[in-house]
Amino acid sequence: MKPRSIKYYFREAFSGLIKNRLMTIASIATVAACVFIMACSYCMVDNLRYMLHQMEDSIGIAVFLKGDMTGQEVEKLKETISAIDHVKEVKYVSPDDALDELKKEWGTEEGILEGFDGENNPLSNSFEISLDNIENQADVLAKLQKLEGIDNIRHAQTETEVLLKLNKMIKITGVLVIAILAAISIVIIFNTIKISVYTRRNEITIMKYVGATDWFIRWPFIIEGILIGFVGSVIPIGIAWPLYGKSVDLIYTYIPLIRNIATFKLGIEIFSKLFPIALLFGILLGVAGSVSSIRKYLKA
Amino acid sequence: MITLSNVSKIYPNGSEGVKDISLHIDKGEFVFFVGSSGSGKSTMIKLLLKELDPTEGTIVINNMITNEISRGQISKLRRNLGVVFQDFRLLPNKTVYENVAFAMQVIEAPSKQIRRNVPAVLSLVGLAKKARSYPNQLSGGEQQRTALARAIVNNPPILIADEPTGNLDPETAGDIMHLLDDINKRGTTIVMATHAKDIVDAMQKRVVTLQDGHITRDIKKGGYSDEA
Repeated sequence: MKPRSIKYYFREAFSGLIKNRLMTIASIATVAACVFIMACSYCMVDNLRYMLHQMEDSIGIAVFLKGDMTGQEVEKLKETISAIDHVKEVKYVSPDDALDELKKEWGTEEGILEGFDGENNPLSNSFEISLDNIENQADVLAKLQKLEGIDNIRHAQTETEVLLKLNKMIKITGVLVIAILAAISIVIIFNTIKISVYTRRNEITIMKYVGATDWFIRWPFIIEGILIGFVGSVIPIGIAWPLYGKSVDLIYTYIPLIRNIATFKLGIEIFSKLFPIALLFGILLGVAGSVSSIRKYLKA
Repeated sequence: MITLSNVSKIYPNGSEGVKDISLHIDKGEFVFFVGSSGSGKSTMIKLLLKELDPTEGTIVINNMITNEISRGQISKLRRNLGVVFQDFRLLPNKTVYENVAFAMQVIEAPSKQIRRNVPAVLSLVGLAKKARSYPNQLSGGEQQRTALARAIVNNPPILIADEPTGNLDPETAGDIMHLLDDINKRGTTIVMATHAKDIVDAMQKRVVTLQDGHITRDIKKGGYSDEA
């Protein structure tokens, strides 16, 4: 590619975009709308998954130990459990701690628990185990059940299943929505470039007859497609980013309680990932659109 | 320069374009392909331009076997060929100068060379004063001169003309033929398809007559048919 040709490619690309300006504006707007909805869906999906993950972290496994274990045995069991794959943390809870916790939970009715202090404490030693991912709960449970000294294992099976199902659903919906919007954008960009190629078919024919290479003919159209994809993704991301920050602030203001359950991702965390993806997507679309629309005219 | 060996072209619908054509054209020759519509003239032109590939046989142009070259080499082949058509095929939104310069731009010729060659070629075809005109401001003859200028500006060794006088009145057609003769005298090989009897008779060049896809007559110097 020679420098003076690059100038030619850009001049031709811009002249193509300007000549068919209505089509150009329409396709930029359509691509922008698609990318915008894609960005919104991505924000929602990403945040929902992020929140689910936070909830998942709070779901653990409680293991109650047999009453006749010495401190040393308890310590050893803790080490064994910590060594199991996917176990993130093992926290020891003594009978006294457990009773305090219970009293706190029962609040004003703690009187019922009077007389269970000290020697009379019926509660046993226990561990609270948290996992790296609740998908691995079944594996860890299977291993725990084989260990000696464990009296009883309790885990939030229903909650886990619901969370896992939710997670899967969100993932599938997100992928589906994004795939449909991507398909729409592809069709739009392809059509714009097809029209652009069509209006210049005579030039293409002459270029072929005088011996221009296929790539020389293609470049202006590829640049055209890239420009549409670029502008069509920069604009919606530029709108969606500040909009996202505002929305999160609003949600925190009006539903302050939500912070207790889960927090939102920061704008920068989402958009630093989304922006390059959207750009790359737009640019790839441009390239694919031009190469495929021009193929017909390059034959022979 | 151009050699066709046992070339046949059968179209996908089964109709025969040309059948078992063998022909050799030397450097610097001026050759007419004549014949009625459907005789195979257009197929011959398309085969030479590699718009079509032969079903059988080989075509060699300037040492390139056209039916064996890769896609990437087609542009190289075409740089050996200038082309003019009956319908001129000028770009309406470009001036005469730009139309001619376009042919150089797209093969990435240096701009210095473009600025030198385009005016030279335009004065050769007698259009120096019309450089800034647009095609719709030109007569048919002037448009065909522009197309000729575009065809030869890259100095191809071979010029292929497909009915170049078909849309022109006899006088203008005569001017274009003079121009082609001049270009031929400068060393360019010219292959021209036509059914204009008077032009062929007047030029007294090599005439290849096609009928139903076969060569029925090939004379070194003569008219459209034997009666002439």
